Amino acid sequence: MTMNNVDRRSFLKGLSAVAGASILCVPQGRAASAKAQVVVVGGGFGGASVAKYLRLLDPGIEVTLIERETRYTACPLSNEVLSDSRDIKSLQTGYERLSRRGVRFVHGEVTGIDPAGKKVSTADGQTFSYDALVVSPGVDFNYSAIVGLTPEIADTRLPHAWKAGAQTLLLKKQLAAMPDNGRFIIAVPKGPLRCPPGPYERAAQVAMYCKHHGKQKAKVLILDSNDSFSKRGLFEQAWKALYGYGPGGMIEWVSGSSGGAVEEVNADTMICRTGFDEHKADVLNVIPPHHAGKIAKTAGLVNSGVWCGVKPDNMESTVHKDVYVIGDSCIGGEIASGNAFPKSAHMANSQAKVVAASLVAKFNALPAPIPTYTNTCYSVVDHDWGFSVVHLYRVEGNQWIYVKEGSGISPVNFGVGKDAKPVPRTYRKIEAQYAAGWLNNLMADAFS
Amino acid sequence: MHKIILSLLLVGCASTAAARPDIEPLARTCNGCHGVGGVSVSGPMPSIGGLPKEYLKRIMKQWKYGERNAVTMDRIVKGFSDDQLDALAEYFSKQPWVPVPQPASEAVLAKGKAAVEENCRDCHGLTGNDPDVEVPKINGQWSKYMELELLKYRSGVFKMPHRKMKQAAHDMKPEEVSATSRYFGAQGK
Repeated sequence: MTMNNVDRRSFLKGLSAVAGASILCVPQGRAASAKAQVVVVGGGFGGASVAKYLRLLDPGIEVTLIERETRYTACPLSNEVLSDSRDIKSLQTGYERLSRRGVRFVHGEVTGIDPAGKKVSTADGQTFSYDALVVSPGVDFNYSAIVGLTPEIADTRLPHAWKAGAQTLLLKKQLAAMPDNGRFIIAVPKGPLRCPPGPYERAAQVAMYCKHHGKQKAKVLILDSNDSFSKRGLFEQAWKALYGYGPGGMIEWVSGSSGGAVEEVNADTMICRTGFDEHKADVLNVIPPHHAGKIAKTAGLVNSGVWCGVKPDNMESTVHKDVYVIGDSCIGGEIASGNAFPKSAHMANSQAKVVAASLVAKFNALPAPIPTYTNTCYSVVDHDWGFSVVHLYRVEGNQWIYVKEGSGISPVNFGVGKDAKPVPRTYRKIEAQYAAGWLNNLMADAFS
Repeated sequence: MHKIILSLLLVGCASTAAARPDIEPLARTCNGCHGVGGVSVSGPMPSIGGLPKEYLKRIMKQWKYGERNAVTMDRIVKGFSDDQLDALAEYFSKQPWVPVPQPASEAVLAKGKAAVEENCRDCHGLTGNDPDVEVPKINGQWSKYMELELLKYRSGVFKMPHRKMKQAAHDMKPEEVSATSRYFGAQGK
């Protein structure tokens, strides 16, 4: 590397400041004031991170972030709101600090994308031209997959709370009002789902609340459409030690093939039905199956099941040129080996950095950077018990390679077989603390 | 004039093209937990920007080769080559060290200072910014992180190869752990 960091940054600043130099990078027909226009759809972790990093790496790029809400509520660790161990305010942020970086924040909903004309339009009739478009709309829910469920019912009576916010608070209220021997049912849809360990962390957080609020006889029943789950060994170990797991314990898990897949719910009788059985709940937390955010579908970006295919080098859509899809809507990673990108905030943040670096290189006619994709995701099951999973992917020959040496969950035990010893509690205690630090840093890395 | 600047910029372009500054995109993956430039904004996660290169190299390789225990980092580093770890160490060591002084009461500071004089001063200096290439700066490091690190040294269940640090951590009285961490956390430049 012949140019150090500072030199490169001033080099880029110089490029945008010197009018004569702008011929290097400004696209045809564009005013010389901006090197390029990037429009970002969606202000979650993916969208906010890409907007921030574009401005950080090259202030000559104009960035417009279009988002439906003016405040964002982060999902990671939002299960802690249910157990009363986290204030939802700690998950909320605005876009002021991104604006201070020069990101133009537009409060609105993108309803149309014209990839040929390279422009997007919003519900209130505005249009925005782009040189590159980043689509990061998160997931939307397929309510009709479950008989008896509608968006209105989810908002008022059977909250999924799978987008943190009002439904999280409704679910918390329902839990607090639940009879002491009540039954809290979590219905988990078939994967891939946003935050793969989330439902199981939620079971622990609900059990934690019950344990400390006079509801020791309560039950948390997980009705799962899947046959296994993320960090399973860690969750089962913790559930057993902390709350009792299995028949007679507070937490019970029913797999998809044992009849866990919920097909129908009734908000009046609070009964949910699987192909096998009926279960009555006091609180019914039905998480509907997900798909790529609506705008991704409208724009024709969905081409791999219900998700958007992207290129390993830079997350460009495999459908439309100059359109990049990041976050929960995309599908990537080493899919064939079962190591697809997890749908997580950290993964979206990492993908965003790959897109930002790639676009900055492109607009400055620099060589394409080598991408690295990383994820870290902590789950907290008690005040002093946490654990994590890490993922690492590199790209080789236009393919994602899952680097298993740099990936994996916290150890369940030390040693194997009859030599296996439980991991000391200190490990779990430290990871519970790290979880809070990770959330704060990740939010800052995306939104400030 | 513009022509001269333009040709200089083109030279700049060409040399950057030859060099492929790949370490920056890789280093950016650390920002999610450690902050931009390695300046953490949250207590449990350490700032790493501006720490000595030799220190960063050593701990990452010790984690990678199982000579030192961490709860998360030892998994992450195993995915990177030694060259990548060296380059990351070099990159972060060149970032400025940005202390984040965290307020503490006079009583805590006095107690912490006394403990530091006894246990830490030799290596870290009285304010935690000893310039020794082997010693991490801890002035204005996050006190929560330092408390957790001391917990690792004191618990006996973590492999922590630095014998002198291990001894010093063991010599502390339980009530000195928090005061020491908060004392160093309160220091500025």
